[in-house]
Amino acid sequence: MRVLGIVARRLAYAAALILAVIVLNFLLVHLAPGDPAEVIAGEMGGTTQEILAEIRHAYGLDKPLHEQLFIYLGRILRGDLGQSFYYNLPVADLILGRLGATLLLVVAALVWSVVIGTFLGVIAARRPDSPFSHFITILSLVGYAAPVFWTGIVLVIIFAWLIPIFPIAGMADAGIEGGGLAKAFDIARHLFLPAFTLGIIYLAQYSRLARASMLEVLGADYIRTARAKGLSERVVVGKHALRNAILPIITIAGLQFGGLISGAVLVETVFSWPGLGTLALDAILGRDYPTILGILFLSAVMVIIANILTDLCYRLADPRIDTGGR
Amino acid sequence: MVDNTDIETAAATTATGPPPVESPAREAWRMFARNKAALLGLILLTGIVLMTLLGPYLYPGDPFEIVWAPFTPPGVTASAPFGTDYLGRDVLAGIIKGGAATLAVGASAAVLTVVIGIAVGAFAGFAGGVMDEILMRVTEFFQVLPPLLFAMVLVALFSPTLATVAIAIGVVSWPQTARLTRAEFLKIKRLEYVMAARSIGARDGRLMWGVILPNALPPLIVSATLVIGVAILFEAGLSFLGLTDPNVMSWGYMIGSSRQYIIDSWWAVTFPGSAIFVTVLSVSLIGDGLNDAFNPRLRDR
Amino acid sequence: MTLTTKTLSALILATGFGLAAALSPPSAIAAEKRGGTLVIGSTQKPRHLNPAVQSGIATAVPGTQIFATPLRFDENWNPSPYLAESWEVSGDGLSVTLRLRKNARFHDGAPITSEDLAFSLMTVKENHPFKAMFAPVTAVETPDPQTAIIRLAHPHPAILLAMSSALLPVIPKHIYGDGQDIRSHPANSKPVGSGPFKLVEFNPGQDIILERNADYFMPGKPYLDRIIIRNYKDATSLALAVDKGEVDMYPFLAAARDINRLKKNDNLVVTSKGYAAVGPINWLAFNTTKGVLKDKRVRKAIAYAMDRDFIVNALQGGASTPATGPIANDSPFYTGDVERYDVDLDKANALLDEAGLPRAGDGSRFALTIDYIPGLPEQQKSIAEYLRSQLKKVGIALTVRAAPDFPTWAKRVSTHDFDLTMDVVFNWGDPVIGVHRTYLCSNIKMGVIWSNTQSYCNPKVDAILDRAGKETDQAKRVALYKEFQKIVVDEVPLAYVNLLPYHTAYNKKIGNPPLSIWGAMAPLDEVYWKK
Repeated sequence: MRVLGIVARRLAYAAALILAVIVLNFLLVHLAPGDPAEVIAGEMGGTTQEILAEIRHAYGLDKPLHEQLFIYLGRILRGDLGQSFYYNLPVADLILGRLGATLLLVVAALVWSVVIGTFLGVIAARRPDSPFSHFITILSLVGYAAPVFWTGIVLVIIFAWLIPIFPIAGMADAGIEGGGLAKAFDIARHLFLPAFTLGIIYLAQYSRLARASMLEVLGADYIRTARAKGLSERVVVGKHALRNAILPIITIAGLQFGGLISGAVLVETVFSWPGLGTLALDAILGRDYPTILGILFLSAVMVIIANILTDLCYRLADPRIDTGGR
Repeated sequence: MVDNTDIETAAATTATGPPPVESPAREAWRMFARNKAALLGLILLTGIVLMTLLGPYLYPGDPFEIVWAPFTPPGVTASAPFGTDYLGRDVLAGIIKGGAATLAVGASAAVLTVVIGIAVGAFAGFAGGVMDEILMRVTEFFQVLPPLLFAMVLVALFSPTLATVAIAIGVVSWPQTARLTRAEFLKIKRLEYVMAARSIGARDGRLMWGVILPNALPPLIVSATLVIGVAILFEAGLSFLGLTDPNVMSWGYMIGSSRQYIIDSWWAVTFPGSAIFVTVLSVSLIGDGLNDAFNPRLRDR
Repeated sequence: MTLTTKTLSALILATGFGLAAALSPPSAIAAEKRGGTLVIGSTQKPRHLNPAVQSGIATAVPGTQIFATPLRFDENWNPSPYLAESWEVSGDGLSVTLRLRKNARFHDGAPITSEDLAFSLMTVKENHPFKAMFAPVTAVETPDPQTAIIRLAHPHPAILLAMSSALLPVIPKHIYGDGQDIRSHPANSKPVGSGPFKLVEFNPGQDIILERNADYFMPGKPYLDRIIIRNYKDATSLALAVDKGEVDMYPFLAAARDINRLKKNDNLVVTSKGYAAVGPINWLAFNTTKGVLKDKRVRKAIAYAMDRDFIVNALQGGASTPATGPIANDSPFYTGDVERYDVDLDKANALLDEAGLPRAGDGSRFALTIDYIPGLPEQQKSIAEYLRSQLKKVGIALTVRAAPDFPTWAKRVSTHDFDLTMDVVFNWGDPVIGVHRTYLCSNIKMGVIWSNTQSYCNPKVDAILDRAGKETDQAKRVALYKEFQKIVVDEVPLAYVNLLPYHTAYNKKIGNPPLSIWGAMAPLDEVYWKK
């Protein structure tokens, strides 16, 4: 029952937060220098004052700002994110069409990097001063410090151009015949390099996190107790320590998942991956305000949902922890 | 970005006791100096900063000037020891001159992040109650914004100058510092020596800035160091996407403008990329070293 | 490229030619060519697929597959029948009669009639940014479903060319005539067309999937089963993809390094043919109303300071050709007999001194800003940056102003908020369509990009262009344009740099690659895979 109460409170608060984000982004975009009407007109290749006035009226840009804001909010509640200035198609459709690609990429990257990173970090924690541990540290530092787009380009050149194992770019060959299995395999081929590139940064972070978290846990009292009870090292580490060490990893992974669009932009650009990152970049470079607002909105929603879910999981896993309450 | 300071707040933390006998700064330095990796980082960073400050005098040369044929590989001509880019500009001059802008953006973004973060976090942690709630809501609000996307929007909508880039990075990065600061303040303000200082009549301001903050500094310093690295990578990313000032030479700008010529002039992208890599790496090593130094528990294995 | 010397009246004879060519029976040879998918790579992102209301190559490539036009042109500037079986131009040049095929249908089965043609022409006339294309059209009569008579206010030498490629797609009146604004009509993203390929999927910013129109009015064609136009984020990835065979055809390839690299691939053919009607000129534009730029000597000095050879050979890898004037080198109207601005720094300095702009203590005379179109680094940004370094040598302090996106740049330039800007403008085949707009006094329009944004105004030039736009005798037109080029190059509202080195790289197994004057902006109904 208490959990329900917490959830309800969090949801209400989340709704308020989303509202605040929408308002901020809306104001930002509409107060920035540049006239949206001119942007729309510019896309059509030319304008006069009459056309500008027409456009302003058609898009409701001649109304006062707060009125526009309310209209926009009303539309969002009905799931209408407006029409793209550039494509003149519903923003919601554009976003939904690309969401899957980004989810696929980020989930793939997170899964492999969290699993392998945790594995490496735990092993390193068992022998903290061994060469392997130092190697893990160096690996994670290198993975973190190298700019991700640089790594991606190098990988494309080596493994897609010089040694053509993987495709150069894109998510799938539209010309693939054959059934679902052939298509899935084709996507997997395209997915490998981008997911690998994106995962390297996560790998760096999670192996360090796992190592530190494991070290922290291994020094705790209950571990000493378990060892004193005579339990084997494998049980001590595998059962008791690991379960507790994983908590921060899950927390961070959950939080990072929320920020997935932002994290994917650079990798999607290098690999021409048809996801929300490239859609966002195109929209920003094309001053497609409705699409920009739509993606920022979706991003905020995802972060908030991820936060709530992660928080819940953490509470369920360890009810002793009081995260942020009073 | 996840770093060791997150581990501190994510994993269970226990309060530390009263300050040890030896001054913490001295002990920290001693631990730091013993850490070879951290020392290496310090040396590298010092080298880079020196290069940025002295380089333009020792190796004058306008990185925007065309000095030789485009696409000249390194080692071919003394006018461009690291080769030339697609315009025929000297890559080495770009590295030397570009360091200033890159480091400046990194440093100013870090300063902005830290100043705002500490201010917000300190007030929230110290004051508690309603003030804390409000400030934490604001912090959460900014934390919900997608970092790279939001920075892209700010830079694209306003103007692509280095100042805008630094501000944009600062705006999306301060929440983490604020949370960290708040956590530290919450922890420390309950400690005995703070109670003692309050009981002898020390005022709030003095308590916050004179007593608590100095003791809260260690993880904040670590965090600030790492923010520099994040800011530099951020600027590189924005430049790669084309959102930077083309009138100022920076490493990110070099990568972004030579990006499509990577096959024909890999040196024009590799050298600035390596410069960024080395800088961020050295900053991370220092940050790690500081973290280990301030937290001897983790080192004593 | 051979010069055509046909006059408009001679085209009446073409009607017979048209009838004969229209009757090509399906045959066993055609059946052999059937099949296959063609993957075209592009860095462009079309907004939608209706070229009637949107100019540019992004819309033109898919649009010319989906929509048919009355005429089509071959690589020698000769028109041939397409939707129009035959046509004739009246003796006085004031009317053009088109006879449409009887068996042509839209993709939804409705027959294509002269009403649709009339509707399409008026739509283009009212909405397309190229106002000069159909400005002289006063009316389109439709005496019967197969006949359309275009009435002109004066003889219009460009009329036939304007009825080909992406310039006059025949759109269905029964869909677009519902009262909605055609520029934002939903059918633009889900078009019902009249051409050899139908739309299957339009994924904005990703790809466009087209499939064969089984009811195409040219029996046996198209040969291809499918065409996929795939978007790549940058030219380098696309070039690598072509190199590896992931993409079959890459039109509008312009990066010198990529051109040279792909030429080394034995599986590919890399050709510069297919762009004769595009005429893409890369130039430096002056805002002739701003400060020191009002003085012709200053503009000439800047033109003389620019080393075109260096730009073409060093910056662009020798892949492009220098441009010397407002008309592209491979146009029948081109002349090279104009003032050449071969680099001469002394002359540039002398001109600036003469203009009364001496150097100050630090060596600089005055400062200017230069803009450029974002997203075209090799053609635009690199030249702007080169000029910063080069103009310093004659004492001009140049600041490069980057625009974060195309609309920002377009707004600055169209509202005349610039000193210098790099720009790329296409000739579009006939000077009336793509050249006049840059120089006419009447086309100085605030807010319209690619109008006369330089505010250049010379009544004599206007008069010449006006006459050339109404002259039907080819020889006389050539002479008029010659005079035009000489004057404009002398008055230098623009310093011409180079022609964009557009190439097409395609798999050598492709038969009938698109190499007409319109290149890939023409129906690919005759393209096939060699076995």
